[in-house]
Amino acid sequence: MALNKVGDPIIRVDRLYKTFPNGVNALVNFSGHVHRGEVVVIIGPSGAGKSTFLRCLNGLEEIDSGTIVIDGIPLDEKKKNRLEIRKEVGMVFQQFNLFPHMTVLDNVNLAQIRVRHKSREEATQTSMELLNKVDIADKAAAFPDQLSGGQQQRVAIARALAMMPKVMLFDEATSALDPEMIGEVLDVMKNLAREGMTMVCVTHEMGFAREVSDRVIFMEKGTIVEMGTAEHFFENPAEERTRLFLSQIL
Amino acid sequence: MNRKLKITTLDVVILTLLLALAAYVVYRLTMQLNYKWNWGILPQYFFYIDEETGRWVANILVKGLWTTIRLSFWATLLAIVFGVVTGLMRISKRLFWRLIGASYVELIRNMPPLVLVFIFYFFVSDQIMPLLGVEDFVRSRPDNVKNLLTFLFASPQQFTAFTSGAITVAVFQGAYITEIVRAGIQSIEKGQWEASYALGLTWGQQMRWVILPQAVKRVLPPLTNEFINTIKYSAIVSVISIQELTFQGMQIMASTYVTIEVWITITAIYLLICFSLSMGVRKLEVHLARSEA
Repeated sequence: MALNKVGDPIIRVDRLYKTFPNGVNALVNFSGHVHRGEVVVIIGPSGAGKSTFLRCLNGLEEIDSGTIVIDGIPLDEKKKNRLEIRKEVGMVFQQFNLFPHMTVLDNVNLAQIRVRHKSREEATQTSMELLNKVDIADKAAAFPDQLSGGQQQRVAIARALAMMPKVMLFDEATSALDPEMIGEVLDVMKNLAREGMTMVCVTHEMGFAREVSDRVIFMEKGTIVEMGTAEHFFENPAEERTRLFLSQIL
Repeated sequence: MNRKLKITTLDVVILTLLLALAAYVVYRLTMQLNYKWNWGILPQYFFYIDEETGRWVANILVKGLWTTIRLSFWATLLAIVFGVVTGLMRISKRLFWRLIGASYVELIRNMPPLVLVFIFYFFVSDQIMPLLGVEDFVRSRPDNVKNLLTFLFASPQQFTAFTSGAITVAVFQGAYITEIVRAGIQSIEKGQWEASYALGLTWGQQMRWVILPQAVKRVLPPLTNEFINTIKYSAIVSVISIQELTFQGMQIMASTYVTIEVWITITAIYLLICFSLSMGVRKLEVHLARSEA
Protein backbone atom coordinates (compact mmCIF):
# COMPACT_ATOMS: atom_id res chain seq x y z
CA MET A 1 0.00 0.00 0.00
CA ALA A 2 1.28 3.37 -0.92
CA LEU A 3 1.58 5.86 1.87
CA ASN A 4 0.46 8.76 -0.28
CA LYS A 5 -3.23 7.94 0.20
CA VAL A 6 -2.76 8.67 3.88
CA GLY A 7 -4.08 11.94 5.31
CA ASP A 8 -3.88 13.89 8.54
CA PRO A 9 -3.69 12.12 11.92
CA ILE A 10 -7.18 10.98 12.93
CA ILE A 11 -6.15 9.08 16.06
CA ARG A 12 -3.62 10.74 18.33
CA VAL A 13 -2.55 9.05 21.53
CA ASP A 14 0.01 10.48 23.86
CA ARG A 15 1.82 8.86 26.79
CA LEU A 16 -0.83 6.29 27.65
CA TYR A 17 -0.41 4.36 30.87
CA LYS A 18 -2.61 1.59 32.09
CA THR A 19 -2.05 -0.95 34.84
CA PHE A 20 -4.59 -3.68 35.54
CA PRO A 21 -5.71 -4.30 39.14
CA ASN A 22 -3.61 -7.49 39.14
CA GLY A 23 -0.48 -5.39 38.62
CA VAL A 24 0.06 -6.17 34.94
CA ASN A 25 1.26 -3.16 32.97
CA ALA A 26 -0.93 -3.16 29.86
CA LEU A 27 0.24 0.17 28.46
CA VAL A 28 3.49 1.89 29.29
CA ASN A 29 4.15 5.33 27.83
CA PHE A 30 2.37 4.45 24.61
CA SER A 31 2.28 7.25 22.03
CA GLY A 32 1.50 7.37 18.34
CA HIS A 33 -0.71 8.54 15.50
CA VAL A 34 -2.94 6.86 13.01
CA HIS A 35 -3.55 8.83 9.84
CA ARG A 36 -6.79 9.14 7.94
CA GLY A 37 -7.05 6.26 5.49
CA GLU A 38 -4.21 4.35 7.08
CA VAL A 39 -4.32 0.65 7.87
CA VAL A 40 -2.32 -0.13 10.98
CA VAL A 41 -1.75 -3.68 12.12
CA ILE A 42 -0.67 -4.34 15.68
CA ILE A 43 1.08 -7.61 16.37
CA GLY A 44 2.84 -9.02 19.38
CA PRO A 45 2.78 -11.86 21.89
CA SER A 46 -0.31 -12.37 24.03
CA GLY A 47 -0.42 -10.08 27.03
CA ALA A 48 1.44 -7.37 25.13
CA GLY A 49 -1.43 -4.92 25.57
CA LYS A 50 -2.62 -4.94 21.94
CA SER A 51 -6.30 -5.50 22.68
CA THR A 52 -6.16 -3.21 25.69
CA PHE A 53 -4.86 -0.41 23.49
CA LEU A 54 -7.62 -0.98 20.98
CA ARG A 55 -10.28 -1.05 23.69
CA CYS A 56 -8.98 2.19 25.17
CA LEU A 57 -9.54 3.97 21.85
CA ASN A 58 -13.34 3.90 22.21
CA GLY A 59 -13.44 3.97 26.00
CA LEU A 60 -14.19 0.28 26.59
CA GLU A 61 -11.18 0.35 28.89
CA GLU A 62 -10.10 3.33 30.97
CA ILE A 63 -6.58 4.63 30.73
CA ASP A 64 -4.76 5.60 33.93
CA SER A 65 -3.11 8.62 32.34
CA GLY A 66 -2.33 10.12 28.94
CA THR A 67 -4.50 11.58 26.21
CA ILE A 68 -6.51 10.07 23.38
CA VAL A 69 -7.89 12.36 20.67
CA ILE A 70 -9.98 10.97 17.85
CA ASP A 71 -10.82 13.21 14.91
CA GLY A 72 -10.30 16.24 17.12
CA ILE A 73 -12.48 14.97 19.96
CA PRO A 74 -10.68 14.26 23.22
CA LEU A 75 -11.71 11.04 24.96
CA ASP A 76 -12.17 12.55 28.41
CA GLU A 77 -14.66 12.50 31.26
CA LYS A 78 -17.35 14.24 29.22
CA LYS A 79 -20.14 11.84 28.33
CA LYS A 80 -20.92 13.84 25.20
CA ASN A 81 -17.39 13.42 23.84
CA ARG A 82 -17.36 9.74 24.63
CA LEU A 83 -20.67 9.22 22.89
CA GLU A 84 -19.42 11.14 19.87
CA ILE A 85 -16.31 8.96 19.69
CA ARG A 86 -18.30 5.76 20.06
CA LYS A 87 -20.45 6.86 17.12
CA GLU A 88 -17.41 7.54 14.95
CA VAL A 89 -15.39 4.46 15.88
CA GLY A 90 -16.64 1.06 14.77
CA MET A 91 -15.45 -2.07 16.49
CA VAL A 92 -15.36 -5.74 15.53
CA PHE A 93 -14.83 -8.28 18.30
CA GLN A 94 -13.20 -11.67 18.45
CA GLN A 95 -16.47 -13.26 19.62
CA PHE A 96 -18.67 -11.36 17.08
CA ASN A 97 -21.12 -10.32 19.84
CA LEU A 98 -24.14 -10.17 17.56
CA PHE A 99 -27.44 -9.60 19.34
CA PRO A 100 -28.94 -13.10 19.43
CA HIS A 101 -32.56 -11.96 19.86
CA MET A 102 -32.56 -9.97 16.62
CA THR A 103 -32.41 -10.95 12.98
CA VAL A 104 -29.30 -10.15 10.97
CA LEU A 105 -31.09 -7.17 9.45
CA ASP A 106 -32.22 -5.83 12.83
CA ASN A 107 -28.68 -6.22 14.17
CA VAL A 108 -27.44 -3.93 11.41
CA ASN A 109 -30.47 -1.61 11.65
CA LEU A 110 -30.43 -1.06 15.42
CA ALA A 111 -27.82 1.66 15.82
CA GLN A 112 -28.87 3.43 12.63
CA ILE A 113 -32.41 3.77 13.96
CA ARG A 114 -31.67 4.39 17.65
CA VAL A 115 -28.43 6.36 17.44
CA ARG A 116 -28.55 7.98 13.99
CA HIS A 117 -32.35 8.38 14.16
CA LYS A 118 -32.92 7.08 10.65
CA SER A 119 -36.31 5.77 9.57
CA ARG A 120 -36.65 2.01 9.34
CA GLU A 121 -36.83 2.20 5.54
CA GLU A 122 -33.68 4.29 5.25
CA ALA A 123 -31.83 2.07 7.68
CA THR A 124 -32.93 -1.10 5.91
CA GLN A 125 -31.72 0.26 2.61
CA THR A 126 -28.27 1.01 4.02
CA SER A 127 -28.20 -2.32 5.85
CA MET A 128 -29.01 -4.31 2.74
CA GLU A 129 -26.29 -2.50 0.79
CA LEU A 130 -23.79 -3.34 3.53
CA LEU A 131 -24.97 -6.93 3.82
CA ASN A 132 -24.52 -7.20 0.07
CA LYS A 133 -21.04 -5.83 0.41
CA VAL A 134 -20.08 -8.48 2.96
CA ASP A 135 -21.91 -11.01 0.79
CA ILE A 136 -24.53 -12.17 3.27
CA ALA A 137 -27.67 -10.34 2.13
CA ASP A 138 -29.48 -13.65 1.63
CA LYS A 139 -29.33 -14.25 5.40
CA ALA A 140 -30.90 -10.90 6.35
CA ALA A 141 -33.92 -12.58 7.95
CA ALA A 142 -31.91 -15.25 9.78
CA PHE A 143 -30.98 -15.17 13.45
CA PRO A 144 -27.29 -15.14 14.43
CA ASP A 145 -27.28 -18.69 15.81
CA GLN A 146 -28.30 -19.98 12.39
CA LEU A 147 -25.08 -18.65 10.87
CA SER A 148 -21.54 -19.98 10.79
CA GLY A 149 -18.82 -18.10 12.63
CA GLY A 150 -17.50 -16.53 9.44
CA GLN A 151 -20.99 -15.38 8.45
CA GLN A 152 -21.59 -13.94 11.91
CA GLN A 153 -18.35 -12.00 11.79
CA ARG A 154 -19.23 -10.56 8.40
CA VAL A 155 -22.58 -9.44 9.81
CA ALA A 156 -20.73 -7.89 12.75
CA ILE A 157 -18.56 -5.94 10.30
CA ALA A 158 -21.66 -4.73 8.43
CA ARG A 159 -23.22 -3.74 11.75
CA ALA A 160 -20.21 -1.63 12.68
CA LEU A 161 -20.06 -0.08 9.18
CA ALA A 162 -23.73 0.88 9.38
CA MET A 163 -22.79 3.74 11.71
CA MET A 164 -20.59 5.13 8.89
CA PRO A 165 -17.59 5.21 11.23
CA LYS A 166 -14.46 7.18 10.50
CA VAL A 167 -12.28 4.51 12.08
CA MET A 168 -12.70 0.76 12.35
CA LEU A 169 -11.09 -1.27 15.11
CA PHE A 170 -10.64 -5.02 14.63
CA ASP A 171 -9.87 -6.93 17.81
CA GLU A 172 -8.58 -10.34 16.67
CA ALA A 173 -11.52 -10.55 14.32
CA THR A 174 -10.49 -13.94 12.92
CA SER A 175 -9.06 -15.62 16.01
CA ALA A 176 -12.27 -17.40 17.02
CA LEU A 177 -13.00 -18.72 13.54
CA ASP A 178 -12.51 -22.17 12.09
CA PRO A 179 -9.59 -22.09 9.64
CA GLU A 180 -11.78 -22.46 6.54
CA MET A 181 -13.75 -19.33 7.48
CA ILE A 182 -10.84 -16.99 8.11
CA GLY A 183 -10.44 -16.23 4.41
CA GLU A 184 -13.96 -14.87 3.86
CA VAL A 185 -13.62 -12.45 6.78
CA LEU A 186 -10.13 -11.34 5.75
CA ASP A 187 -11.42 -10.69 2.21
CA VAL A 188 -14.03 -8.32 3.60
CA MET A 189 -11.37 -6.57 5.67
CA LYS A 190 -9.03 -6.29 2.69
CA ASN A 191 -11.76 -4.74 0.54
CA LEU A 192 -12.48 -2.27 3.29
CA ALA A 193 -8.80 -1.35 3.46
CA ARG A 194 -8.65 -0.81 -0.29
CA GLU A 195 -11.66 1.50 -0.11
CA GLY A 196 -9.61 3.75 2.14
CA MET A 197 -11.16 2.99 5.53
CA THR A 198 -8.98 3.93 8.46
CA MET A 199 -8.34 0.66 10.26
CA VAL A 200 -6.51 -0.46 13.37
CA CYS A 201 -6.28 -4.24 13.49
CA VAL A 202 -4.97 -6.51 16.17
CA THR A 203 -4.34 -9.76 14.37
CA HIS A 204 -2.17 -12.81 14.06
CA GLU A 205 -2.73 -12.97 10.29
CA MET A 206 0.68 -12.01 8.94
CA GLY A 207 -0.49 -12.47 5.35
CA PHE A 208 -3.13 -9.82 5.90
CA ALA A 209 -0.59 -7.51 7.55
CA ARG A 210 1.84 -7.91 4.68
CA GLU A 211 -0.79 -7.44 2.00
CA VAL A 212 -2.84 -4.46 3.12
CA SER A 213 -1.21 -2.70 6.04
CA ASP A 214 0.48 0.67 5.67
CA ARG A 215 2.20 0.26 8.96
CA VAL A 216 2.90 -2.60 11.33
CA ILE A 217 3.43 -2.05 15.04
CA PHE A 218 5.12 -4.70 17.10
CA MET A 219 4.16 -4.40 20.74
CA GLU A 220 5.45 -6.08 23.84
CA LYS A 221 4.87 -5.41 27.54
CA GLY A 222 2.71 -2.40 26.82
CA THR A 223 5.13 -0.51 24.61
CA ILE A 224 6.04 -0.26 20.94
CA VAL A 225 9.13 -2.33 20.21
CA GLU A 226 9.25 -1.61 16.53
CA MET A 227 7.14 0.15 13.95
CA GLY A 228 7.40 0.44 10.19
CA THR A 229 5.97 -0.35 6.78
CA ALA A 230 5.00 -3.95 6.16
CA GLU A 231 7.91 -4.31 3.77
CA HIS A 232 10.46 -3.05 6.26
CA PHE A 233 8.88 -5.07 8.98
CA PHE A 234 8.81 -8.46 7.35
CA GLU A 235 11.89 -8.19 5.15
CA ASN A 236 14.27 -6.33 7.36
CA PRO A 237 13.26 -5.92 11.00
CA ALA A 238 15.72 -3.87 13.03
CA GLU A 239 15.09 -5.24 16.53
CA GLU A 240 16.30 -8.60 17.69
CA ARG A 241 13.04 -9.11 19.63
CA THR A 242 10.98 -8.54 16.48
CA ARG A 243 13.05 -11.04 14.53
CA LEU A 244 12.61 -13.61 17.25
CA PHE A 245 8.84 -13.10 17.32
CA LEU A 246 8.53 -13.29 13.54
CA SER A 247 10.63 -16.42 13.39
CA GLN A 248 8.30 -18.03 15.90
CA ILE A 249 5.07 -17.29 14.07
CA LEU A 250 6.01 -17.31 10.38
CA MET B 1 -40.61 -33.48 22.74
CA ASN B 2 -41.94 -36.76 21.40
CA ARG B 3 -41.14 -38.89 24.39
CA LYS B 4 -42.68 -42.29 24.48
CA LEU B 5 -44.84 -43.09 27.44
CA LYS B 6 -43.52 -46.22 29.08
CA ILE B 7 -45.38 -47.72 32.01
CA THR B 8 -43.31 -49.87 34.35
CA THR B 9 -44.45 -52.17 37.13
CA LEU B 10 -43.40 -49.58 39.66
CA ASP B 11 -45.66 -46.98 38.02
CA VAL B 12 -48.60 -49.37 38.26
CA VAL B 13 -47.91 -50.08 41.93
CA ILE B 14 -47.59 -46.40 42.81
CA LEU B 15 -50.70 -45.44 40.84
CA THR B 16 -52.72 -48.20 42.51
CA LEU B 17 -51.58 -47.07 45.93
CA LEU B 18 -52.47 -43.46 45.16
CA LEU B 19 -55.91 -44.43 43.89
CA ALA B 20 -56.47 -46.54 46.99
CA LEU B 21 -55.48 -43.62 49.20
CA ALA B 22 -57.81 -41.27 47.34
CA ALA B 23 -60.66 -43.75 47.59
CA TYR B 24 -60.03 -44.11 51.31
CA VAL B 25 -60.08 -40.34 51.83
CA VAL B 26 -63.33 -40.01 49.90
CA TYR B 27 -64.79 -42.90 51.86
CA ARG B 28 -63.84 -41.33 55.18
CA LEU B 29 -65.19 -37.96 54.14
CA THR B 30 -68.50 -39.24 52.83
CA MET B 31 -69.26 -42.19 55.06
CA GLN B 32 -67.42 -41.85 58.31
CA LEU B 33 -67.11 -38.11 58.80
CA ASN B 34 -69.58 -36.53 61.16
CA TYR B 35 -70.30 -33.79 58.66
CA LYS B 36 -73.36 -32.92 56.68
CA TRP B 37 -72.44 -32.10 53.12
CA ASN B 38 -74.32 -29.23 51.59
CA TRP B 39 -72.94 -28.40 48.15
CA GLY B 40 -76.31 -27.12 47.01
CA ILE B 41 -75.97 -23.93 48.96
CA LEU B 42 -72.88 -22.75 47.08
CA PRO B 43 -74.02 -21.92 43.49
CA GLN B 44 -76.14 -19.00 44.67
CA TYR B 45 -72.97 -17.37 45.98
CA PHE B 46 -71.65 -17.27 42.44
CA PHE B 47 -74.80 -16.02 40.70
CA TYR B 48 -78.41 -15.52 41.77
CA ILE B 49 -81.59 -14.29 40.10
CA ASP B 50 -82.45 -10.78 41.18
CA GLU B 51 -86.12 -10.86 42.16
CA GLU B 52 -86.89 -7.33 41.01
CA THR B 53 -85.41 -7.49 37.54
CA GLY B 54 -85.47 -11.26 37.04
CA ARG B 55 -81.87 -11.22 35.73
CA TRP B 56 -78.82 -13.22 36.78
CA VAL B 57 -76.57 -11.16 39.03
CA ALA B 58 -73.04 -11.88 40.18
CA ASN B 59 -72.83 -12.70 43.85
CA ILE B 60 -69.99 -12.29 46.33
CA LEU B 61 -67.83 -15.20 45.15
CA VAL B 62 -67.68 -13.89 41.60
CA LYS B 63 -67.19 -10.35 42.91
CA GLY B 64 -64.45 -11.61 45.21
CA LEU B 65 -62.76 -13.42 42.35
CA TRP B 66 -62.93 -10.26 40.26
CA THR B 67 -61.39 -8.26 43.14
CA THR B 68 -58.63 -10.85 43.46
CA ILE B 69 -57.91 -10.56 39.76
CA ARG B 70 -57.87 -6.74 39.86
CA LEU B 71 -55.74 -6.75 42.97
CA SER B 72 -53.26 -9.22 41.52
CA PHE B 73 -53.15 -7.36 38.23
CA TRP B 74 -52.25 -4.00 39.76
CA ALA B 75 -49.96 -5.57 42.31
CA THR B 76 -48.09 -7.50 39.61
CA LEU B 77 -47.77 -4.44 37.42
CA LEU B 78 -46.48 -2.35 40.30
CA ALA B 79 -44.21 -5.17 41.50
CA ILE B 80 -42.60 -5.31 38.05
CA VAL B 81 -41.97 -1.56 38.23
CA PHE B 82 -40.48 -1.85 41.74
CA GLY B 83 -38.53 -4.94 40.72
CA VAL B 84 -37.03 -3.42 37.59
CA VAL B 85 -36.18 -0.10 39.25
CA THR B 86 -34.52 -1.63 42.30
CA GLY B 87 -33.06 -4.43 40.18
CA LEU B 88 -31.26 -1.74 38.18
CA MET B 89 -30.21 -0.09 41.44
CA ARG B 90 -28.72 -3.39 42.58
CA ILE B 91 -26.36 -3.49 39.59
CA SER B 92 -25.54 0.23 39.63
CA LYS B 93 -21.93 1.36 39.64
CA ARG B 94 -22.74 3.70 42.50
CA LEU B 95 -22.66 2.34 46.01
CA PHE B 96 -25.52 4.63 47.06
CA TRP B 97 -28.01 3.00 44.67
CA ARG B 98 -26.72 -0.47 45.44
CA LEU B 99 -27.25 0.12 49.16
CA ILE B 100 -30.80 1.36 48.65
CA GLY B 101 -31.60 -1.66 46.50
CA ALA B 102 -30.00 -4.08 48.95
CA SER B 103 -31.76 -2.53 51.94
CA TYR B 104 -35.14 -2.83 50.26
CA VAL B 105 -34.62 -6.46 49.35
CA GLU B 106 -33.23 -7.47 52.73
CA LEU B 107 -35.86 -5.56 54.69
CA ILE B 108 -38.76 -7.13 52.82
CA ARG B 109 -37.26 -10.58 52.58
CA ASN B 110 -36.73 -10.81 56.32
CA MET B 111 -40.19 -9.70 57.30
CA PRO B 112 -43.46 -11.68 57.49
CA PRO B 113 -45.82 -10.45 54.77
CA LEU B 114 -48.66 -10.25 57.27
CA VAL B 115 -46.70 -7.73 59.34
CA LEU B 116 -46.05 -5.71 56.24
CA VAL B 117 -49.78 -5.69 55.50
CA PHE B 118 -50.48 -4.27 58.95
CA ILE B 119 -47.74 -1.68 58.67
CA PHE B 120 -49.14 -0.53 55.39
CA TYR B 121 -52.70 -0.61 56.54
CA PHE B 122 -52.17 1.33 59.76
CA PHE B 123 -49.53 3.78 58.55
CA VAL B 124 -49.88 4.23 54.85
CA SER B 125 -53.59 3.61 54.44
CA ASP B 126 -54.61 5.31 57.69
CA GLN B 127 -52.22 8.24 57.73
CA ILE B 128 -50.72 8.97 54.33
CA MET B 129 -53.66 8.24 52.02
CA PRO B 130 -56.04 10.68 53.82
CA LEU B 131 -53.20 13.20 53.83
CA LEU B 132 -52.97 12.89 50.07
CA GLY B 133 -56.74 13.13 49.88
CA VAL B 134 -57.05 10.03 47.71
CA GLU B 135 -60.53 9.12 48.84
CA ASP B 136 -61.88 12.67 48.56
CA PHE B 137 -60.33 12.88 45.12
CA VAL B 138 -62.13 9.71 44.01
CA ARG B 139 -65.42 10.78 45.56
CA SER B 140 -65.36 14.18 43.90
CA ARG B 141 -64.93 12.76 40.37
CA PRO B 142 -67.88 12.84 37.96
CA ASP B 143 -69.99 9.68 37.90
CA ASN B 144 -68.54 8.17 34.71
CA VAL B 145 -64.96 8.54 36.02
CA LYS B 146 -66.08 7.12 39.34
CA ASN B 147 -67.61 4.12 37.58
CA LEU B 148 -64.44 3.56 35.61
CA LEU B 149 -62.32 3.77 38.76
CA THR B 150 -64.68 1.35 40.49
CA PHE B 151 -64.38 -1.03 37.57
CA LEU B 152 -60.58 -0.82 37.41
CA PHE B 153 -59.80 -0.54 41.13
CA ALA B 154 -62.54 -0.46 43.75
CA SER B 155 -65.58 1.48 44.86
CA PRO B 156 -64.87 4.87 46.51
CA GLN B 157 -65.43 3.54 50.04
CA GLN B 158 -63.04 0.62 49.33
CA PHE B 159 -60.56 2.64 47.31
CA THR B 160 -57.95 3.41 49.99
CA ALA B 161 -57.97 -0.11 51.37
CA PHE B 162 -57.71 -1.56 47.88
CA THR B 163 -54.82 0.62 46.79
CA SER B 164 -52.86 0.11 49.98
CA GLY B 165 -53.52 -3.63 49.67
CA ALA B 166 -52.26 -3.66 46.11
CA ILE B 167 -49.21 -1.57 47.07
CA THR B 168 -48.43 -3.90 49.99
CA VAL B 169 -48.44 -6.99 47.80
CA ALA B 170 -46.45 -5.11 45.15
CA VAL B 171 -43.81 -3.94 47.64
CA PHE B 172 -43.50 -7.48 48.90
CA GLN B 173 -43.32 -9.17 45.51
CA GLY B 174 -41.14 -6.37 44.13
CA ALA B 175 -38.32 -7.47 46.41
CA TYR B 176 -38.31 -10.94 44.92
CA ILE B 177 -38.63 -9.65 41.38
CA THR B 178 -35.68 -7.33 42.10
CA GLU B 179 -33.43 -10.31 42.64
CA ILE B 180 -34.69 -12.02 39.51
CA VAL B 181 -34.15 -8.88 37.43
CA ARG B 182 -30.64 -8.48 38.85
CA ALA B 183 -29.75 -12.09 38.12
CA GLY B 184 -31.24 -11.86 34.64
CA ILE B 185 -29.27 -8.76 33.71
CA GLN B 186 -26.05 -10.10 35.17
CA SER B 187 -26.45 -13.30 33.19
CA ILE B 188 -26.11 -11.43 29.89
CA GLU B 189 -22.63 -11.80 28.38
CA LYS B 190 -20.23 -8.88 28.67
CA GLY B 191 -19.85 -8.89 24.90
CA GLN B 192 -23.43 -7.73 24.46
CA TRP B 193 -22.71 -4.65 26.57
CA GLU B 194 -19.48 -4.00 24.71
CA ALA B 195 -20.93 -4.39 21.23
CA SER B 196 -23.88 -2.10 21.95
CA TYR B 197 -21.56 0.38 23.68
CA ALA B 198 -19.25 0.46 20.67
CA LEU B 199 -22.24 1.18 18.42
CA GLY B 200 -22.94 4.37 20.37
CA LEU B 201 -26.07 3.31 22.24
CA THR B 202 -26.70 5.12 25.51
CA TRP B 203 -27.07 3.11 28.70
CA GLY B 204 -30.84 3.33 28.49
CA GLN B 205 -30.84 2.19 24.88
CA GLN B 206 -28.50 -0.69 25.69
CA MET B 207 -30.92 -1.80 28.40
CA ARG B 208 -34.07 -1.30 26.35
CA TRP B 209 -32.96 -2.86 23.07
CA VAL B 210 -30.18 -5.31 23.90
CA ILE B 211 -29.96 -6.39 27.54
CA LEU B 212 -33.52 -6.51 28.87
CA PRO B 213 -35.09 -8.37 25.93
CA GLN B 214 -32.59 -11.18 26.43
CA ALA B 215 -32.75 -11.05 30.22
CA VAL B 216 -36.56 -11.19 30.31
CA LYS B 217 -36.55 -14.30 28.17
CA ARG B 218 -34.12 -15.99 30.53
CA VAL B 219 -35.97 -15.13 33.72
CA LEU B 220 -39.48 -15.80 32.49
CA PRO B 221 -39.82 -19.12 34.40
CA PRO B 222 -38.82 -17.69 37.83
CA LEU B 223 -40.80 -14.55 37.03
CA THR B 224 -43.92 -16.67 36.40
CA ASN B 225 -43.40 -18.12 39.83
CA GLU B 226 -43.56 -14.64 41.31
CA PHE B 227 -46.66 -13.74 39.31
CA ILE B 228 -48.39 -16.79 40.74
CA ASN B 229 -47.13 -15.87 44.18
CA THR B 230 -48.66 -12.43 43.72
CA ILE B 231 -52.07 -13.99 43.21
CA LYS B 232 -51.56 -16.23 46.20
CA TYR B 233 -50.32 -13.45 48.46
CA SER B 234 -53.29 -11.30 47.47
CA ALA B 235 -55.26 -13.53 49.89
CA ILE B 236 -53.35 -12.06 52.78
CA VAL B 237 -54.94 -8.63 52.38
CA SER B 238 -58.28 -10.14 53.41
CA VAL B 239 -57.14 -9.27 56.94
CA ILE B 240 -57.59 -5.59 56.12
CA SER B 241 -61.16 -6.19 54.91
CA ILE B 242 -60.52 -6.08 51.21
CA GLN B 243 -63.37 -8.12 49.81
CA GLU B 244 -61.36 -10.47 47.66
CA LEU B 245 -61.89 -14.18 47.22
CA THR B 246 -60.56 -15.40 50.57
CA PHE B 247 -62.43 -12.68 52.47
CA GLN B 248 -65.68 -13.67 50.76
CA GLY B 249 -64.97 -17.30 51.60
CA MET B 250 -64.74 -16.37 55.27
CA GLN B 251 -67.98 -14.41 55.00
CA ILE B 252 -69.86 -17.35 53.50
CA MET B 253 -68.36 -19.71 56.06
CA ALA B 254 -69.46 -17.44 58.90
CA SER B 255 -73.03 -17.23 57.66
CA THR B 256 -73.59 -20.79 56.40
CA TYR B 257 -71.12 -23.05 58.28
CA VAL B 258 -70.50 -25.12 55.12
CA THR B 259 -66.79 -24.91 55.88
CA ILE B 260 -65.28 -27.69 53.82
CA GLU B 261 -67.33 -27.00 50.67
CA VAL B 262 -66.43 -23.32 50.78
CA TRP B 263 -62.71 -23.90 51.10
CA ILE B 264 -62.64 -26.65 48.50
CA THR B 265 -64.39 -24.23 46.14
CA ILE B 266 -62.02 -21.38 46.96
CA THR B 267 -59.05 -23.70 46.47
CA ALA B 268 -60.38 -24.80 43.10
CA ILE B 269 -60.78 -21.20 41.97
CA TYR B 270 -57.24 -20.22 43.01
CA LEU B 271 -55.90 -23.35 41.37
CA LEU B 272 -57.76 -22.51 38.20
CA ILE B 273 -56.48 -18.94 37.86
CA CYS B 274 -52.90 -19.75 38.89
CA PHE B 275 -52.79 -22.75 36.58
CA SER B 276 -54.18 -20.81 33.61
CA LEU B 277 -51.61 -18.10 34.26
CA SER B 278 -48.72 -20.54 34.22
CA MET B 279 -50.09 -22.17 31.07
CA GLY B 280 -50.34 -18.75 29.46
CA VAL B 281 -46.75 -17.88 30.30
CA ARG B 282 -45.62 -21.30 29.12
CA LYS B 283 -47.20 -20.50 25.74
CA LEU B 284 -45.39 -17.16 25.73
CA GLU B 285 -42.10 -18.89 26.49
CA VAL B 286 -42.56 -21.28 23.58
CA HIS B 287 -43.46 -18.34 21.37
CA LEU B 288 -40.36 -16.39 22.43
CA ALA B 289 -38.15 -19.42 21.96
CA ARG B 290 -39.49 -19.85 18.43
CA SER B 291 -38.84 -16.22 17.54
CA GLU B 292 -35.15 -16.90 17.92
CA ALA B 293 -34.47 -19.66 15.41
